[in-house]
Parts: sequence; C-alpha cells; structure tokens
Amino acid sequence: MIRILPYLLYLWLLAMHEVFLKDLTSLWGVSINLVMLMILLTAIYKSEIHTLWFGFFGGLVTFVASGSAWGWHILVIILIAIIAYHLKERMNLESIRAKILLLLGGLLVHNLLVLFIAGQQDILWTIFKQVIPGAVYTTIIGWLYFLFKEGKLTKEKIKAIF
Amino acid sequence: MGTLRTLFARYWRNIHFISVFVLAVLLLLGQPFINSYVKEGVYALFYSPFAKLKLNINKLVNVSDNNRTLMESLVEASFQISLHEETVKENERLRSILGFEPPPGYTLIPAEVIAVSGHYLPTAVTINKGEGDSLRVNMPVINQQGLIGRVSDVTADYAEVQLLTDPTNRVAARVASSREMGIVKFIAGTGMILDNFPIQGTVTVSDTVISSGLGRVYPPGLFVGTVVRVEREELEPFCDIKLKPAANFYSIEELFILREVEQ
Repeated sequence: MIRILPYLLYLWLLAMHEVFLKDLTSLWGVSINLVMLMILLTAIYKSEIHTLWFGFFGGLVTFVASGSAWGWHILVIILIAIIAYHLKERMNLESIRAKILLLLGGLLVHNLLVLFIAGQQDILWTIFKQVIPGAVYTTIIGWLYFLFKEGKLTKEKIKAIF
Repeated sequence: MGTLRTLFARYWRNIHFISVFVLAVLLLLGQPFINSYVKEGVYALFYSPFAKLKLNINKLVNVSDNNRTLMESLVEASFQISLHEETVKENERLRSILGFEPPPGYTLIPAEVIAVSGHYLPTAVTINKGEGDSLRVNMPVINQQGLIGRVSDVTADYAEVQLLTDPTNRVAARVASSREMGIVKFIAGTGMILDNFPIQGTVTVSDTVISSGLGRVYPPGLFVGTVVRVEREELEPFCDIKLKPAANFYSIEELFILREVEQ
C-alpha cells in the first residue's frame, strides 16, 4: 500500500513552488522544473505504481492553471515518468552519471513538449533561452540531491569547505 | 469473490494504468464541466493556503512601501510647514517695518543680513549692500526696534555693520525725559550700560535712552535702550545705569542704513 502522507506533502511542495518558490529560485527567467524532477526521482527510486500515480497527481496540481491543456500536461508527465521508469529498469543506475543522464533527458523532453502544448511562438529562441537552461538548472539540483542521498555530499563536507 | 481477487492480483498493474489514463483522458475531454470541479478541489486543497500566505505577505510589503511613502510625505509636509511658518514670521516683520519712518533728513536703505560674527554674542553682521548701493563707513544702521550700530567696512557689494554689542562701539546718548547725557557702551559680562551719567542726574528705571546726535555718527533721537537698573554710589561721580537694548541682536534679519539726504 502506498503511504499517502509523504506524497501529499510533495504535492503541497509543488503547489508552494508554483505560488512562491518558482519566482524566488528563478535565475535570469529560468526556473526549476520541480514537478518533473520529483516525478523522475520517484521513477528512479520508487515503484512503477508510485511513479504512475504521483505523475498523475503531480501534473494535476502543477498544471491546474493551464486551462484546456491540463489533460495534455498530465498525459505527457505520466508518459515521461513511465518511460523513465522502464529505462531505469534497463540501465545500470549505480553511477550518478546515468541518473543525471536520465534526469536531463526526461527534463529536456518534458520542457520541449510543454513548449509545444503551450503553442509557443519563436520555438528555436525559446529552446535556447528556456528549455535547455531550464533542464540543465533542474538537473544540477537533481545532481545535488543524488550527492546528498548517496552520502557523497554531507553537512560535514560543506562545513569543511567553509 | 476468490476469482475476483485472483483477477485483481493478476491484472493490478493494468488496473492502475487504466485508471490513471482514464482519469487523464477525462480531464482532457470532460472540460469544462469536470475540470471546474477538480480545479476547485485542487485549488482549495493545495493552493489556497499558499495563495493566502502570499497575499498577506504582499499586503505586508505594500504596507511597508506605503509606510515609507507616507514618511517621505510627512517629512516633506513638515518641511513645507516650517517654510510656511518662516514666511508668516517674515510677513509679520515686514508688516511692522512697513510703517517705519526714517529720522528727518535721512532716507532708508534696506538690507538683509547674510552673515553674523561674534563669539558669545553677535558683534558684527555682514549685509547684502555695498558701495554700489551708496553705503559709506560710519553710516548709522537701525531696524524697526531701534539703533543697531554703524557701517564699519564697505566693499563693492557687501558691508560690515559693527553692532552696539561690540565693546569698542560707543554711542553718545541722552535720557529722553531729562535730556541728560551719557555714553552708551557694551561691556562683556555686564551688558549695555549708560556710562558717564552724572550722579545728580535725573534717571529712573524704564526711562528711554536715545542717541544725542553728538559725535556726528548717529543722528539724534534714535531709540537705543531702556533703563532697567540705576545705582548711585555716594563717592562716585557717575551713576551705574544698566540698559536693555532696544534691538534684539540675536534675531537681526532685515535692517536699514540711514543715508543723509544731500541738501
């Protein structure tokens, strides 16, 4: 049975990100794609059913304000999450590089598809201005998360730097 | 029942998949009827607390901005008020000057004080009139209260006025009621006195002291001060008379130079 409470907290975090954190964490107009990051991390560390449902509800919460494209956003997220999950099953994810590659690929594809769903003009310009920097920025956050999770970056090490 | 459980156990993965995709497709196709309900639920459950928090923070930020703007306005307003008060005072002074008549045979040259000098008491002031305005050394200077001093130095555009508070300044004076004469001078620590006034002379407190015209610097009849104390020592030839100066030397702003009318 999926324990619901942590996922509810994640969903609140996503809502908070949309309301508050997105603007605060944006660098030169490039923001973190938190929903895809969290769903890809779920795909890497959790089961297929977790990924599936969290993908659905993550899309539901994050893209609630996207009007008629809401359903498309949810479908795209679910598809990327499931594909990422099955790729993970076939990859050797012992190394951080593989995980980062999976993250970066998923984020790039998602950012691109969001671009198409939104019917954005100046696609090429937006790809270089938003899609790629957004995916890279989010991947860096994911990379830091991997380092923390696998004990390669600890509080003691950070303290030692300063 | 057992069969149903077996079927569910066998196809549980597919059931989850189908459920999720059906829900997603429902959201895709069921708009706006379904969507509005779901959206309402999502907003109420997940967004509402943060939206309210953000709103309150924004309000606080706005209050802070408004507070700063109001503070600036307040400072500006108080500055305007002080300017206005200054204007009112100036207006009152100018009104009192308006009816001011020069002594016979003299015309008034109005001037403004631009600098004051002196350590504990103003002893000299610089005015914004000079040789170009027909000012000459030793011209008497008055204001609406009385005698101020004399012009001691003149440049092209400015002049220095030696005030009565300068201990080196002397005014030949007389008590207006008895017409008896003395010399008005200022002594540091004591104040303005009427010196050389004979012991047998007639003078009382609150008598007015005016310039006598002797010495040819100050014309006769200019109000110099009021007697505030009279002391007579038996063996002394002169009285000790203390005066209250007619002019307030701490607040001189506008003054007049007396220019003799040429015959």
